[in-house]
Amino acid sequence: MRRSLLEIKGLSCSFGGLRAVDGLDLELEPGVLAGLIGPNGAGKTTCFNLITGRVKPTGGRVTFEGRDLAGLRPSRINHRGIARTFQNIRLFGDLSALENVLVGFHGGLRASFISAILRLPGYVRQERQMEKRAEELLELVGLGRLINEKAANLAYGSQRLLEIARALATGPKLLLLDEPAAGMNPQETATLSRLVLRLRDEMGLTILLIEHDMHFVMNICQSLTVLDQGRVIARGTPRAVQLDKAVIEAYLGAGIEMAQEEGGDA
Amino acid sequence: MADFLQQVVNGLSLGSLYALIAIGYTLVYGILRLINFAHGDVLMVGCYAAYFGGAMFYLPWWASLLGAMALTALLGVLIDQGAYRPLRTAPRISALITAIGVSFLLENLGIVIFGGRPRSFYRPEIFDRIINFGDVRILSLSLWTPVITAGLCIALLLIIHRTRTGMAMRALSRDMVTVRLMGINTDRIVAYTFAIGSALAAVGGVFWAMKYPQINPNMGVMPGLKAFSAAVVGGIGNVTGAMLGGLILGFLEIMLVALLPAIAGYKDALAFLLLILILLFRPTGIMGQELPE
Amino acid sequence: MRLLGGIFDLGPLPRRSATRGRDNMLTVGFCLAVAWVLYWLDGHGDPYLVHMLTMAALFATLAVSYNLINGVTGQLSLEPNAFVACGAYVTALLTLSPQEKMASFILEPLVWPLSEFCIPLLPALLIAGSLTALMAFLMGFPVFRVRGDYLAIVTLGFGEVIRVVAENAQSVTNGPLGLKGIPRDTNIWWAWGLLGVTLFVIVRLVNSSYGRALKAVREDETAAEAMGINAFWHKMLAFCTSAFFEGVAGGLLAHLLTAISPKQFDFLFTFTLLIIIVIGGLGSTTGALLGAFLVTFGSEHLRFVEEGFTVPLIGLDIPAIPGMRMVIFSLLLVMIMIFMRRGLLGRHEFSWRWLAAVLGRRTPAGGGK
Repeated sequence: MRRSLLEIKGLSCSFGGLRAVDGLDLELEPGVLAGLIGPNGAGKTTCFNLITGRVKPTGGRVTFEGRDLAGLRPSRINHRGIARTFQNIRLFGDLSALENVLVGFHGGLRASFISAILRLPGYVRQERQMEKRAEELLELVGLGRLINEKAANLAYGSQRLLEIARALATGPKLLLLDEPAAGMNPQETATLSRLVLRLRDEMGLTILLIEHDMHFVMNICQSLTVLDQGRVIARGTPRAVQLDKAVIEAYLGAGIEMAQEEGGDA
Repeated sequence: MADFLQQVVNGLSLGSLYALIAIGYTLVYGILRLINFAHGDVLMVGCYAAYFGGAMFYLPWWASLLGAMALTALLGVLIDQGAYRPLRTAPRISALITAIGVSFLLENLGIVIFGGRPRSFYRPEIFDRIINFGDVRILSLSLWTPVITAGLCIALLLIIHRTRTGMAMRALSRDMVTVRLMGINTDRIVAYTFAIGSALAAVGGVFWAMKYPQINPNMGVMPGLKAFSAAVVGGIGNVTGAMLGGLILGFLEIMLVALLPAIAGYKDALAFLLLILILLFRPTGIMGQELPE
Repeated sequence: MRLLGGIFDLGPLPRRSATRGRDNMLTVGFCLAVAWVLYWLDGHGDPYLVHMLTMAALFATLAVSYNLINGVTGQLSLEPNAFVACGAYVTALLTLSPQEKMASFILEPLVWPLSEFCIPLLPALLIAGSLTALMAFLMGFPVFRVRGDYLAIVTLGFGEVIRVVAENAQSVTNGPLGLKGIPRDTNIWWAWGLLGVTLFVIVRLVNSSYGRALKAVREDETAAEAMGINAFWHKMLAFCTSAFFEGVAGGLLAHLLTAISPKQFDFLFTFTLLIIIVIGGLGSTTGALLGAFLVTFGSEHLRFVEEGFTVPLIGLDIPAIPGMRMVIFSLLLVMIMIFMRRGLLGRHEFSWRWLAAVLGRRTPAGGGK
């Protein structure tokens, strides 16, 4: 029985009077590609924020590789091996694409700022390695020709890919993707699917993604967790979840039930 | 005992002045999330206006005061329209730097126009009497100040909670975008906010000038900064908080000088220490209103 | 409206690693040229010009340091005056002879052991810089608990507290009287030497992975944290480095002015530095340099508005208006923030690659690249 990589138990979080996340349980085995779906406002991004330490939970626990993540600041959690992208793209606009990815490598730099200032051989060597790796990552996500472009000037789709490259630079074991396909056309989505699968297969990453594009999710996710109003309402393979009544209700509202009862057209 | 009573009255008096000035900061910050650095200097302009009202036009003190209030209200609105409005959508740091620039501009214009030499401010007879309560000798100004301040504060709270403009102001401090979408002329409300805040600061300034009867172009700097600290301590964005913060700061300052005269020289630092402590331990201030981001 | 910034925007330049060797040679050559010019000026130049260049270099050091925390890391600190004051006072207290100290401290004697000894300038500067950096380190804990305007106000508060302390700690700082009789040790070499060291450290830092991390914190602190950058420590790094150089520059300033008092290091000082880096472009080291020279020399040349002058051609007599210069500078700051927020250079920096690209463009019919 493989030990789960990420284990969330009874996670809760409130903003003012609103319970954004309520008693969430989730388990991810290493190497799995899982999806987190649910209607708007269900608490999906809040869940990511809780895992990555951006928001403090009011209850429950998040365990990664057997170690509790409670009270750690986001940069520490990233060092433990969790990286993420953001729903509203948060790139370093003024820096180039290459520099954005290089920032991702900074956390792993084993050289003091003094050695950086003096350009000691240890630092210079690592800097060269970082540059090489950064170029490789950008090539991997398909941005090889845009490495010196200012991030703010990139097309929307490219910006999303850049965020992924940047997250990869931090050397994670778990990758959290927040609506990676948002705003992409079918072609771009297909390319993204292939990329995400490559990340799991070739880089051995465990991936949890939030998405609204059902096609995308159904195609590549091995398991789905459905959230509604901060609670898990269904869990399982995409197939099973698709047919789950509670899920349908959550997305479409009870109206669909009544329409079916009256025998009207769907 | 007599001495203590005297200090209490002094504290109340000084606290009232800080409260009047703090209100302007808190009103503007609540709506625009901007620290109006120039607020203290607007106060200074009000003082000079009142001064010239008396010295050049021989107006009675209350007429000078009203004139000063009108003038500062206008000045406050002009500053917003001219310097802050173009930066509504800019990063907040830019607006803050601009506010610093406006502040320096007013001070130096003051030096150029009025001269750097301090001038003596006229204290009307009604505020110049000494009232005796047994052993205690209190300047009538020190009694009038809190009374007038209280009256103005009550009036302000009535405006904020009972009028439509006041309601708009409160709504604006919660969610500017939505208020605009509802067809309310936000520019007008913002203008009112600056006008009210500046006019109150003028009152505070004039009474300050009567108390330490001297004015100079840099007189607004320290009271301004301290009043801002008071506003933060009380809970920035909250008008009652500003009043409370001002009173607390006034009291503490007087008490410090009275009880620990050896370190009285550090009284100016008190406001900032309070500010730093509050921001560290209870950033939302005493009235603790979590401002939406 | 982007003046020089527009010129700087040439699109992606050739990669730095490709031209690194050549760039370093050019930089060294340039430094030697500057050193030669200074040598010549020191011997033969107009003493007034030498003094101005010394002042300009000190302010350039201050501007470049200040830009590190404000512009590069994006944390609006309003207390450089406190760091400069700290550096000035510590250096002066260490280098003044015991006799001088006795003469100055007439109200209350200077605390022991400072009253008993004095040391040469260089170690005094290093100690002053380190103490200032330490002060920044201690302040950083409360300061970086908050962000944005609150951070600005907290730093302003600390700056004021330091000023009040300087005015009241009679037995250490001599209160409002200040210190006088400080040996006039600062010459053009000290000032430009410090500028050189500061530029070396800060430019190298900004161009390294750490510099990128600082900029990331500026651009989006949340995202930076999520990418493994401890925003707190990086802000501390910028803050303390900045404070160190501001302290040392303060020490040299004390030894140029020969007399210091708390009044000199008030908010106006901070304002001057602020306007320098805003004119140059918040975030650009080159901009800070440019701004410092422009403001130092410009301020001198603007003296005429305060002394009364005659408008040529019309023959109009404008009377002397003291304080007019500051009006002009304040107005300038407001205008820049409204119309040209990015300053002259924005966030662009000078680089040899840029120069080569500009020159390469000018060459007719493809001058090779």
